[in-house]
Amino acid sequence: MGHSLQAVTDIRPDTTEDMRLVAEVLRKDRKATAEFVSRYSDCVYSYVRRRMIPRTEVAEDLIQEVFVAAWQSLKNYRGDASLRHWLLGIARHKVDDHYRKRLRTFDWQDSEDESIAEPSVTPTYEEQIDRALLQKKTRRVLATLPEAYCLVLLWRYQEDRSAREMAQLTGKTEKAIERLLARAREHFKRRWNHAGT
Amino acid sequence: MPGHERDDQLFRMLCEFDEAAFEERAPSRVKARLYSAIIRDQQETGPLQSLSETHAAGHGLCIFESLVQIAPVGEKAKSPFFCWTCHARLLAENVENAPIFWAHCPYVSFQNR
Repeated sequence: MGHSLQAVTDIRPDTTEDMRLVAEVLRKDRKATAEFVSRYSDCVYSYVRRRMIPRTEVAEDLIQEVFVAAWQSLKNYRGDASLRHWLLGIARHKVDDHYRKRLRTFDWQDSEDESIAEPSVTPTYEEQIDRALLQKKTRRVLATLPEAYCLVLLWRYQEDRSAREMAQLTGKTEKAIERLLARAREHFKRRWNHAGT
Repeated sequence: MPGHERDDQLFRMLCEFDEAAFEERAPSRVKARLYSAIIRDQQETGPLQSLSETHAAGHGLCIFESLVQIAPVGEKAKSPFFCWTCHARLLAENVENAPIFWAHCPYVSFQNR
């Protein structure tokens, strides 16, 4: 243990403390486990909550899934990245899982409509210069969308997943994802234009 | 610029929420539940490290854990998660910043004060 720890710290000295904590948690030291939760729950919570907009209440369940999964695979942590970074990687997978599961429950027949005429959307001058205002309105509009539309927009544009990746993860065709995205954009724009500032 | 690219650009901008706006501490009751859930999972694959070993590793014990740790019993008897029977856990899991104050209680360390 000491030898391998030395090898790791030679490359990335900042993970020494992480490796110590991991070793203690793996020994099922309850106090080290409490330290693990105290030290990393805030950053994981913020990360997950931001990605669950506007349904942020889901974050509380997801963060628990992240930490239990982290504990179960903690023996695989090698200190190549910081523990924080490693945990956020698990969080990202859990967020993807959430999007995937929720989208699978969506009635895809509804999105089979043919041509979709998307209205245009142009943020007002005030919204363009006031980023907080723009984000507030975006969150408000997202909150009014059906869940599938909201999720598909966030997955595509916040998580930067391509339609192909989303198709692979949901077991749908790329075309179906693109149609769903087009419909989601259309709904978003219509609601945006009626939402005021 | 083609329409779909313009759309992509617009939606990327709209969905780019500031990290700072979401930087907040996890509620203390969420941390308490997290901790209990991990401990529960740890116990499914065998006993926790005994309180004597935890103490020897330099960690502080709460008053109740200290009583168990000095008791003339075997190490196995010092491994269970005694917090299951403690009202501090119940309070911490259900009340935000619950009024629990004694030293070295893990549930106190989760409070956002």
